[in-house]
Amino acid sequence: MVWPRKVWMRLQTLLRSDQAAHQLDEEVRFHLDEQIAEYVAAGMDPQDARHAAMRLFGNPTSLKETTRETWGWVWWEQIVQDVRYGFRSLRKSPLFTTIAILTLALGIGANTAMFSLLDQVVLRLLPVSHPDQLVIVRETGNHFGNSYGPNTISWPMFEDLRDHNQVFSGMFCRFPATVNIGVTDRSEQISAELVSGQYFSILGVGAALGRTIAPDDDSVPDSAPVAVLSYSFWRSYFGGDPKIIGRTITLNGNAMTVIGIAQPGFDGVELGEPSKVFVPIMMKTEMTPHSDGLKDRRRRLSWVTTYGRLKPGITQQQAELSLQPLLQGILEMESQQPEFARSATADDRQVFLRNRIKLMPGSDNGLGDYMSKPLWLLLALTGAVLLLACSNLANLLLARATARERELAVRRAIGAGRARIVRQLLVESLLLSGVGATAGLAIAFLADRVLLHIYLPADAAAEFVISPIPDARVLAFVVGAMLVTSLFFGLMPAIRGARTEMTMALKDRSRSLSADGILLRRLLVGTQVALSLLLLVGAGLFVRTLRNLETLGPGFPTDHVLTFRIDPSLNGYSDEQTKSFYQRLEVNLQTLPGVSSAGFSAMPLLKGYAWQNAIVGKDFEGAPIEQQPVLSEVSPTYFASVGIPLVAGRTFSTQDPPAAKYAVINEKFAKEYFPGRDPIGQLFGLVDDMQTIIPDTQVIGVISDKKYRELRETPPPQAYFHYVTGTHFRFMNIYLRTQGDPRLLEDALRERMRQFDPHVPVVDLVTMDELIGQSLRTERLVASLSAVFGALATSLSLIGLYGVLAYVVMRRKTEIGIRMALGALKPDVIWLVMREVLILVAAGLLVGIPLTFALSSLVRSQLFGLEPHDPLTLTSAIVGLTFVACLAGLLPALKASRIDPLQSLRDE
Amino acid sequence: MGKPNDLVQGMLDLLILKTISLEPKHGWAIAKRIQQISNQVLQVQQGSLYPALHRLEQKAWIKAKWMESDTGRKAKYYSLTATGRAQLEKEAANWGRLSGAINLVVQSV
Repeated sequence: MVWPRKVWMRLQTLLRSDQAAHQLDEEVRFHLDEQIAEYVAAGMDPQDARHAAMRLFGNPTSLKETTRETWGWVWWEQIVQDVRYGFRSLRKSPLFTTIAILTLALGIGANTAMFSLLDQVVLRLLPVSHPDQLVIVRETGNHFGNSYGPNTISWPMFEDLRDHNQVFSGMFCRFPATVNIGVTDRSEQISAELVSGQYFSILGVGAALGRTIAPDDDSVPDSAPVAVLSYSFWRSYFGGDPKIIGRTITLNGNAMTVIGIAQPGFDGVELGEPSKVFVPIMMKTEMTPHSDGLKDRRRRLSWVTTYGRLKPGITQQQAELSLQPLLQGILEMESQQPEFARSATADDRQVFLRNRIKLMPGSDNGLGDYMSKPLWLLLALTGAVLLLACSNLANLLLARATARERELAVRRAIGAGRARIVRQLLVESLLLSGVGATAGLAIAFLADRVLLHIYLPADAAAEFVISPIPDARVLAFVVGAMLVTSLFFGLMPAIRGARTEMTMALKDRSRSLSADGILLRRLLVGTQVALSLLLLVGAGLFVRTLRNLETLGPGFPTDHVLTFRIDPSLNGYSDEQTKSFYQRLEVNLQTLPGVSSAGFSAMPLLKGYAWQNAIVGKDFEGAPIEQQPVLSEVSPTYFASVGIPLVAGRTFSTQDPPAAKYAVINEKFAKEYFPGRDPIGQLFGLVDDMQTIIPDTQVIGVISDKKYRELRETPPPQAYFHYVTGTHFRFMNIYLRTQGDPRLLEDALRERMRQFDPHVPVVDLVTMDELIGQSLRTERLVASLSAVFGALATSLSLIGLYGVLAYVVMRRKTEIGIRMALGALKPDVIWLVMREVLILVAAGLLVGIPLTFALSSLVRSQLFGLEPHDPLTLTSAIVGLTFVACLAGLLPALKASRIDPLQSLRDE
Repeated sequence: MGKPNDLVQGMLDLLILKTISLEPKHGWAIAKRIQQISNQVLQVQQGSLYPALHRLEQKAWIKAKWMESDTGRKAKYYSLTATGRAQLEKEAANWGRLSGAINLVVQSV
């Protein structure tokens, strides 16, 4: 058994290396003394004997080094030494170290923050088992029928696919809904998910408590009054009370038994739209009283989002190919049905039969699409910042390596190998980037919390758990960024440092400073100027976009408006009951003190969507209609409440005959459909897919053009109908114009609504200004971050610029001294340095302007009210950048002008 | 001054092992002994001796002990371990074969 002894020896030399070294000294001394003794015994003078012995022995230090190497710990000792040296030399120049670490931390921090946001919001998979096997099944092509969205199919088609496919180990479907949950005398509206029986088992999601919904709950419509709560909702709403299992809650007025709590972290398959309660899809009628796709077995009514779990080994493509014949058969069958045959032509049928099955990743969701574009944009911006940070560090380290040429030369003179020096400098930069990355991670973690709250709707942000531990990919990203950074900026000066000609460096400091170093540094500064320009222009464009959106606004006065949403139909009220509810509410709200006008609209303002429908009219039939008008059903006081002035005719009145079909349109509508005619009294009708409609709706008034869906749009053609003439009543958006600060009215309003009907919850109560603020969330995030990045980039470039100039002045000290001795004045010297500044900035701009031109076109769709090549933004960025660059250059310039010619020549 | 090559190093190892096979010796005595036995032909450089000794010690072929020398001073005495003894036999046999073979070649011409 040799190895225990070996290990023991190793440990001895490692752990007791001082003692081992001491013993080696002792051994060597003994040897020398023996030799001396021998010489003395042979009759030599002791002094000579000592010298002779030492000559014979050779270099004891070298011997000790070689011997120590046999202990096998040298590499370790040297690394420890390198780290120690690294720390020492970093501590010796605190300004450099601080700037370097700060640069790195901000660069890496910004990148990690953006990456984890992107990762968790866009790239993240569902928190279920094997999320990669999960696909959404959709039918692409022409739909011919009613649809709840592009990812939905009909219930009968879901059943057919589920029962006859060969590629999925299981399929389930779901439908999102909002429901009223009632507890005693208060009620609240929450998001629910109606799920088919195999939902939980196929997802592989278990219950934290009780059980999940099982196939048994999913056989007979209306027969499964059970609910599963999401973990976070159970904690927040029921205080995590375990006794809730088996108890009854009221959803839309129906008693439902809570059978379980879903596992923590799971809140439905739609990321960013957390479901709080899961209900068997068999309860569709109860959960969505206004429509029933379950019993209405129309084959072209698409409403369920369908998921499949691919069998192991089957690819998405194989599955699509295998499902296509199945779909083909279904389409053939559907196209024969009277419902389809009645309204479709032979051409329509051909188009219809070309529909295809398409599978999408199961984690694909609207949130990702909606958020990913600005996030990728911001990631690109942070990438530029990281690049800038790196070049700044390279610059700093290059300057440092130059300043340390002498030190390095001394170290080589006393025996340090090149590799050793390169390694030591590398260790130093790894230390820097290690500390920088750690600080960066901390910054990223904090920044992500802030960003999420700016970015997501308040309730979604609260539910969105950003894990405090960055996941493996984020960590890989940071470590990768760190390594690339340190190699990028570490290796370059390290190699230069090792190449230093030692005699030159030792002999004469000022002449040894190599010319390629300063060229490289100028290049780096030029790059920084170019990148700064890019980021500054970006910041300018986004900030001005935000300002344009804010100052232009929707067109109507937004202060003094309070808005909220209600849906009495969720309580099972019939159309008649709902109608009477709204009529009473209309009168009731007018009497609320502080309210000057109260109006309703079925479709919300500035929420990004609208009810659109093609129209027919007497005189414009067949005329090309570019866009479908935006429609809504409103109360007579709606226009006054929102603040949209009437320009002609009148608004609706309660005195209108109940059967009268009247419409109020906007000017754009009038211009588009009744050009050159008086719009008042014109007739039109809505196109319906069932039959031809007689244009029987009469225009009674015209309002001015205001924005409807979002702030970026030009007002579309709009038409409004009196809500009481509508046939089905559901949710309404209420707009209250207040006399004072609308926020002061919130409590009174809630109380009034509670008295009016405690079972109808007030949803999304905000002021109009807050609503606009929310709709500009993305723009605000992009604008504020790009402004921060622009400022960061500019300060980094200024540091770089200052460094290079200070160095140039130091290098040209003698030259400047001679010039001054020959009669150059202070302004001449200042100009000498400032010329350098201007050349550097000009070189940077020369690259930066075309770069900015090319890249800013890519963000055209994100801008509003200005072009990507907006001359004002570009000019002010150029002027601003040049100005601050000159300020940064002035310091070294003034220093140069104060050079004493005599002193500088004497130094030489 | 380059590193001693393998042959030289291997020979030095063999000489050291052989020298301390009878009794423990300290470094100076090992060098002296090799010089004497070889009739002053083999001069062991100290620069090679001590690294070799420490390397053999790390390999656990030899072990060291601090003992009093003839002059009464403490010195580091090296002696063979069991592994070292086995190694010595192997190396010695190898050397015998090798030198015999070289002899044959050299004398045949």
